Amino acid sequence: MSQNKNEVLYRVYIVLGLLVVFAGFIFYNAVKINVLEGDKWRKEGEKDHFRNHVVKASRGNIITEDGALLASSLPFFDIFFDLTRPSQGLWTNSNLDSLVDGLMPYVIDDFNMTNLAFRDSLIKARNAGKQYMLIKRDVSYADYEEIKQLPIFRRGQMAGGFIAEEKFKRESPYGMLALRTLGYVRNNRMVGLEGWFDKELKGSDGKKLKVYEAASKILVPVDDLNSIKPKSGNDIVTTLDVNIQDVVQKALLRGMEHHDAEDGTAIVMEVKTGKIRAMSNVGKTTKGWYENYNHAIGTKVEPGSTFKLASMMALLEDGYIDLDDSINLEQGLYTFYEEEMRDASFHQLDSTTIRKAFEISSNVGVAKLIQRYYGDTDEASKFIQHLKDFRLDQIVGIELNGEAKPYIKEAYNEDDSWSGISLPWMSIGYEVELTPLQMLTFYNAVANDGRMMKPYLVTQVQQFGEALKTFKPTVIKKEIARPETIQKVKELLEGVVKTGTAKKLKSNRYQFAGKTGTAQINYYKFDQRDNIKYRASFVGYFPAEDPIYSCIVVVTEPRKSGRYGSEVAGPIFRQIADKCFIQQKELYPKGNERKKVLTKNQLPQLDVGYRKDVDKILKNLKLIHTDSGVKNWAVLTADTDTIHIAPRYISRDLVPNVVGMGLRDALYILENLGLKVTFQGAGKVVQQSLKGGTKIRGQKINLKLR
Amino acid sequence: MSIRARRNNGFQNVDLQTLSYYIGLVIIGWMMIIAATAKGNDFGGLSSEATKQGFFILISFVLIVGISFIEWKFWRTFSYVFYALSIFSLIAVLIIGKKVSGATSWFSIGGFSLQPSEFAKFATCLAMASFLSSYNANLKIFKSQLIAFGLITIPIILILLQPDAGSAIVFTSFLILFYRLGLSENFYIVFLTLTTLFIIALIYDPYYVILGFMMTGTGIFIYNLKNEKRIWIIGFTLMIIGTIAGLYFFPLFYQEIFVFNFVIIPILSFVLWRNGRKEIVKLLLPLIIFGGTFAYGANFAFNNILKPHQQSRINVWLSPSKAPSDAIYNLRQSKLTIGSGELSGKGFLQGTRTKLDFVPEQSTDFIFCTVGEEQGFVGVFGIIVLYLLFLYRITVIAERQRSDFSRNYAYGVAGILFFHFFINIGMTMGLVMIIGIPLPFISYGGSSLLAFSLMIGVLLKLDSNRYSI
Repeated sequence: MSQNKNEVLYRVYIVLGLLVVFAGFIFYNAVKINVLEGDKWRKEGEKDHFRNHVVKASRGNIITEDGALLASSLPFFDIFFDLTRPSQGLWTNSNLDSLVDGLMPYVIDDFNMTNLAFRDSLIKARNAGKQYMLIKRDVSYADYEEIKQLPIFRRGQMAGGFIAEEKFKRESPYGMLALRTLGYVRNNRMVGLEGWFDKELKGSDGKKLKVYEAASKILVPVDDLNSIKPKSGNDIVTTLDVNIQDVVQKALLRGMEHHDAEDGTAIVMEVKTGKIRAMSNVGKTTKGWYENYNHAIGTKVEPGSTFKLASMMALLEDGYIDLDDSINLEQGLYTFYEEEMRDASFHQLDSTTIRKAFEISSNVGVAKLIQRYYGDTDEASKFIQHLKDFRLDQIVGIELNGEAKPYIKEAYNEDDSWSGISLPWMSIGYEVELTPLQMLTFYNAVANDGRMMKPYLVTQVQQFGEALKTFKPTVIKKEIARPETIQKVKELLEGVVKTGTAKKLKSNRYQFAGKTGTAQINYYKFDQRDNIKYRASFVGYFPAEDPIYSCIVVVTEPRKSGRYGSEVAGPIFRQIADKCFIQQKELYPKGNERKKVLTKNQLPQLDVGYRKDVDKILKNLKLIHTDSGVKNWAVLTADTDTIHIAPRYISRDLVPNVVGMGLRDALYILENLGLKVTFQGAGKVVQQSLKGGTKIRGQKINLKLR
Repeated sequence: MSIRARRNNGFQNVDLQTLSYYIGLVIIGWMMIIAATAKGNDFGGLSSEATKQGFFILISFVLIVGISFIEWKFWRTFSYVFYALSIFSLIAVLIIGKKVSGATSWFSIGGFSLQPSEFAKFATCLAMASFLSSYNANLKIFKSQLIAFGLITIPIILILLQPDAGSAIVFTSFLILFYRLGLSENFYIVFLTLTTLFIIALIYDPYYVILGFMMTGTGIFIYNLKNEKRIWIIGFTLMIIGTIAGLYFFPLFYQEIFVFNFVIIPILSFVLWRNGRKEIVKLLLPLIIFGGTFAYGANFAFNNILKPHQQSRINVWLSPSKAPSDAIYNLRQSKLTIGSGELSGKGFLQGTRTKLDFVPEQSTDFIFCTVGEEQGFVGVFGIIVLYLLFLYRITVIAERQRSDFSRNYAYGVAGILFFHFFINIGMTMGLVMIIGIPLPFISYGGSSLLAFSLMIGVLLKLDSNRYSI
């Protein structure tokens, strides 16, 4: 019995002992999890259910002053499939089939397999334990909305495995228009306005803490003080004018094609303000013409003859010359220190006026004058000082990265390899380097009566349409030269167009002023003397009497149909000026808006239209017309400046006379009368196959339009 | 007989210590359910789990008071009736029960659900105590063993049919009572060995287990050869070392080693048999064959008999690399939630993970996570200590009973509570595999609370009458 008691006691202790051991295990685990690993679990837990979401800010737009959208950000999505997410109940063949059928139209190009094969590949990937599968990149917002609603995917990210990563893509609604000026930001490369104003445009990405709610398997945004809303980027308002930019780009492109040139640049600037209205660059690439580099600001080149303006201004400022002083042009050939200088165009002038020398762009003439007055050792720096006074040695500070700094030699500076011929060659635009924009800024100053304006591209930074910052026109220098000097060089520039190198470009509708330039690019390479390349340029302003726009056109390496500034760049300038003139009302001389003198052939003759339309047109054109109480169809006739309106009657059962009508009106009338209409040509009806007044019996009628 | 006079006087002589542990756990449990189910400051109104649990707590208290007025002999007298009723209800639930998440474990009565398997624990406990205290019962006798095991096997089978493996496993907790009553230790050794073998066979390739058996056998055979020829000893010792080394360095060749053993064991058996060491062969050869077969069978059973969710639960526990990610997910969430409370917890109702329902079944099976997160190690430690004190107290109560019935019953209760306590808390911490059983008194669930209260009420009543014999 006592042994039995001992046995029982022993067994009780064993039981209690085991209890202690097991409790020890539990206890040890509690210490381990809560105390030793507690921090780790807590952190992991927070990571698990608190998720910081970066909320991408939408990039600001670039708009023009009149509201045209030049660059905008559109949302795009990369669609992924988290194959591990759908539960077995969701992962049924019928669901998968519907999903695949729905997806296929979007992904057929990427996967190129049958629906069944695609479905099997999904199943295979899931069975293989694969988690993420890329479905499609760069899905548009509309497509994203569709895909999101497909079976399985419509269950969202947590239950359906549908992952859409939003990103913004930069779109330029106007395509190539001013592409390089607008620029881009990519891989830390900051190009154009996008680059310069990146800080404004990009806004700031937001942060949002989201909590993963396990039961409903959704991410719930939490209101906490640390969340940062994304700040959409600000919009910037550019001075670029879509219409002018378009004109410039087309004109430039046409010129480039016509002359088979390497690249070309054209800039239009508003004289009074310095606003850049257009800045276009066209370069030849293997794939055609493209805006691949902003030569307008990034490439400094020897400008050639257009630089002569500076030389003339220097001479005039110092009072050394007057325009009608005479000068011997040496028949276009002169030697400075054994280096021959020739005039570009052949002439046999000996003695002529300085005015004439400039107008025909005589290298010899200008160089001789400069050499005469500044050739002495201590005078050269005076000439250089003038160039500096004209700010030709300074960058203009346009809001674009990569503006090249002009190169103007210091007098007798060995570092600049100054030589005896530096001065004469500088005077005609060699041994100096400027960007087209810098040259234009200088000419613009002349057009603006000596007041040099800083060229600029952005007038405002806006937030939700409210101006945050406004950029006003900036004066670089109030007076780059005395008014008399400016007056004289303006005369010279007008002369260039009237009687000089650009006289062929003259327009009788308006006057413009400017200077041609034809620079040799590779003159210093002896072996290429026979194959000289040129850079043709034209810089000027219009209208000459009250300049509104200044413009420069530079075309590098024209290979055919001429090479001179007047042949290559000038016509482009003229086209630009013409179009601007037509489009821009303000170009019409203010104050003396002339009464239009209209000739008969400019006015409608026997044109037929609906009365209301006619009224609208006539009102817009401010044409005087008589009113004869016509209600419906009106026939217009005109004498010198008055339009007469006569009725055109349409009968119910007689074929009407529709000659003089537009196609739309004619079709409306004829088809309403039950006639079957065929037609050829475009314009107005000039002939109809059934004579007016024929009885209508549902015939066919053929119209000829012209 | 002044002691006898004390019987049947309600709460007289009731063990206040046990009663306070009970009440403490129930109240803590209620708080935790509130914490686990409240959304912000919304405690959910009348139909919320917290309200329902409060209602059941009230009923439980009434129940315990009621029990105290019932003659204590009632429980022994009617123990088999309760058992029969319980078995009947387990059969009935299979027919008319409500299916909730895959198991037909519930009677739906009005707005409430009753889970007969919870009450079966109590009834079995009564019946077992009654049987084992009967004059004829002796666990050293096969017939008694048969009846005792039969008493737990019937509910196990019926509950497995629901299927609710977790609740079924709870009935193995009677092994503690059996041990106390002198069931042979050999049984436990075999039981534990087989369990271990089963686990090893699941963790490792069963071939390794079989190989282990074979090599051990080979080793013992060779040891027994030592009287015969030295050359054998050296040769076979080298072979064993070679085998182990080979297995260690070239695990890929285990099949060759396997074949080698397969050949060498019969040879050795033959040699020993011829040399008159028959008893060794008789003992060892069946052992090797049985062990190998069992290991292989365990693996086969695991892969072919267990349901996928059971497989994955075992995998989560034994070989996490094989477990599917969603099964791992639950355990990880559970550990994360407990662990994130760190030392002192996030505070009552401040548990973010609890709020966000990261842990499945957080008001029922995983209620301990709420304790861990909101009360931290302090709370976890407190609950564990409270439980251990409670269990210790029940053991003390058990040992002070004069009535075998009362003692057996108390041990049964202690066993069941301990099993629940260890498995439930262990599973939330990854110590044991996830078995869906509640933490008594703390987990949400009316049936569970009522059944456990019933157990404790009867225990208190029996104990208060310990002097009545």
